[in-house]
Amino acid sequence: MASEFQHDPKHLDLKKDSDQPLLELKSLQTHFFSDEGTARAVDGVSYKILPGETLGVVGESGSGKSVTALSIMQLVPQPPGEIVGGEILFKGESLLGKTDEEMRKIRGNEIAMIFQEPMTALNPVYTVGDQIVETVRVHRGLDKEAARVHAISMLEKVGIPSPKIRVDEYPHQLSGGMRQRVMIAIAMSCDPSLLIADEPTTALDVTIQAQILDLIRDLQKEAGMSVLLITHDLAVVAEVAHHVAVMYAGKVVEYATALELFDKPAHPYSNGLFRSLPDLAGPNEPLATIPGMVPPATRFPSGCRFHPRCPIATDKCKTEEPKLNHLKGNAGRTVACHYVDEAAKL
Amino acid sequence: MSATKNKLGGSDNLLEVKGLKKYFPIHKGILSRHVGDVKAVDGLDFNLGRQETLSLVGESGCGKTTAGRTLLRLYDPTGGEALYRPDEGDAPIDLFQLDKREMRAYRRDLQIIFQDPYGSLNPRITVGNSIGEALSVHGIARGAELDDRVEQLLERVGMRAEVSNRYPHEFSGGQRQRIGIARALALNPKLIVCDEAVSALDVSIQAQVINLLKDLQDEFGLSYIFIAHDLSVVRYLSDRVAVMYLGRIVEIGTTDELFSNAQHPYTKALLSAIPIPDPRRRAKHVPLTGDVPSPINPPKGCHFAARCVVAEKGCFESYPVMKGPEGGHQAACHLL
Repeated sequence: MASEFQHDPKHLDLKKDSDQPLLELKSLQTHFFSDEGTARAVDGVSYKILPGETLGVVGESGSGKSVTALSIMQLVPQPPGEIVGGEILFKGESLLGKTDEEMRKIRGNEIAMIFQEPMTALNPVYTVGDQIVETVRVHRGLDKEAARVHAISMLEKVGIPSPKIRVDEYPHQLSGGMRQRVMIAIAMSCDPSLLIADEPTTALDVTIQAQILDLIRDLQKEAGMSVLLITHDLAVVAEVAHHVAVMYAGKVVEYATALELFDKPAHPYSNGLFRSLPDLAGPNEPLATIPGMVPPATRFPSGCRFHPRCPIATDKCKTEEPKLNHLKGNAGRTVACHYVDEAAKL
Repeated sequence: MSATKNKLGGSDNLLEVKGLKKYFPIHKGILSRHVGDVKAVDGLDFNLGRQETLSLVGESGCGKTTAGRTLLRLYDPTGGEALYRPDEGDAPIDLFQLDKREMRAYRRDLQIIFQDPYGSLNPRITVGNSIGEALSVHGIARGAELDDRVEQLLERVGMRAEVSNRYPHEFSGGQRQRIGIARALALNPKLIVCDEAVSALDVSIQAQVINLLKDLQDEFGLSYIFIAHDLSVVRYLSDRVAVMYLGRIVEIGTTDELFSNAQHPYTKALLSAIPIPDPRRRAKHVPLTGDVPSPINPPKGCHFAARCVVAEKGCFESYPVMKGPEGGHQAACHLL
């Protein structure tokens, strides 16, 4: 598989700020209301995805990265969830103002999504072919014959051997990696401009993970779509992302190109994440850790939400919430920290 | 790797495993006729030194979890022997020859930690009682002494002693894993099988638990069999690594040898698939096509031959023997 990489800016000749983003989130807030209180799962998330690029969203469990994705698709179960503030702009249009009918035309068509566990996302009583056929008939109005031909060609495209036979098989007859390929075939069948991939390789073996990442990258290049890749795995982000948004406790704490972030994370939380990777530690030195754990979404701390775990926090951090500001001399990179200069010395 | 660790070989190994096999029978029809076996583990040989960490790695279905569980007699072995020497110079005891009652005496030495501690902690029992249960079953401590010991254990794994009256659901994943470790430690074991013990944890919590496991190893002289699919964790934590494919070890060696000088084509493919957390140094994947053959009817030749990029005719005809020095870096490939 093609493996030359696209951090080469020539491949992505659209990194200028003048480019209109394909998708832009502005201070998005999605809260969940229950007897135990309000969980502010997504609480002021802003990021953008440029046409043709991959944005990696990283963060630990409970950081709000998946709920952000579900909010974009407007698939947050309501109640208990509700998008209570902010904006989602897709191709310059607000998605939050769309009717259910209009959203249905976008979902699965313009914006497609794949999940961690393909077995639960696929319908076990329909063949994989039926599930692709359904998608393209609904969105593209193809007749049965044409839809089936399209289904077979999609299966072939995602690297499923003997697609003419596999098209009539059921999900349980396929291995985990094959199921994820089928999910990708369904997602790609309407030629979306944005693919949201939520932990697409987390449940897979490392060998299969490599294949799926290669596949997503190849399809992206071919189709020119944008990818929103949600993962907890920094190494996966390093493999495929152009830009990265690091999330913590319902907020973006840092946004940068992958190269900038991996060269020198600017936020103390990003820095802590990197330092706890076993890849970067010597064999006999203990791993650096971030003390404590991610707070539950019902009880986020005041001020900077990372302050109880931060090595350089001061009283200011306890009371005053830092804004996502541009880093000095780098208009494209934003960090939410009161002490960016001190953090650089960590 | 520290100087206190014993060299492999000689009569000092904690464990010597020879020809370990575990088949799961397949029954079919109304008479439940025995029609075949899933050969989950099909002849493993390895040694484990004192205070050593040996990792078993491989893709899902390669038999690494079954191997760990069979060693502890959580499954009945189909064949082979597991020679265990509680202390240096002791006569070896074959764990597979012991009956249930005899085995109980050794169970306290051999513990296991699972991936999902929530599934292995009883939700209706306080964590204090979960940890203390083994101590009272084995008649080691009672009453106030038991409570003290439980509190010590909790503090040792980085939890406050007061939490012993709380229930598993009140804790996060990382805390539950600490509780699982405290419970495994309660009986002063010599060996802990860590079955994907850090796989479900977030990276910052994972680092905390890995550090804890390393500290405990130094403090109590523990040996670990570490079963994991995350190869960067394995590389950091292991003294030696055994790569498994379809129920057999295809390569074994020290962590350095294996990661810097892999011999078996399967190991090479596996290592090349590890994503590298550095966008400037993207991994060149050795593509691995095709599927793992069925463990019910494994091919007679090298199990990996059908997916191997360098396979020759002979590879399909006979299973390769392990090559390399006994107890050293070994690999099972015809082309070495």
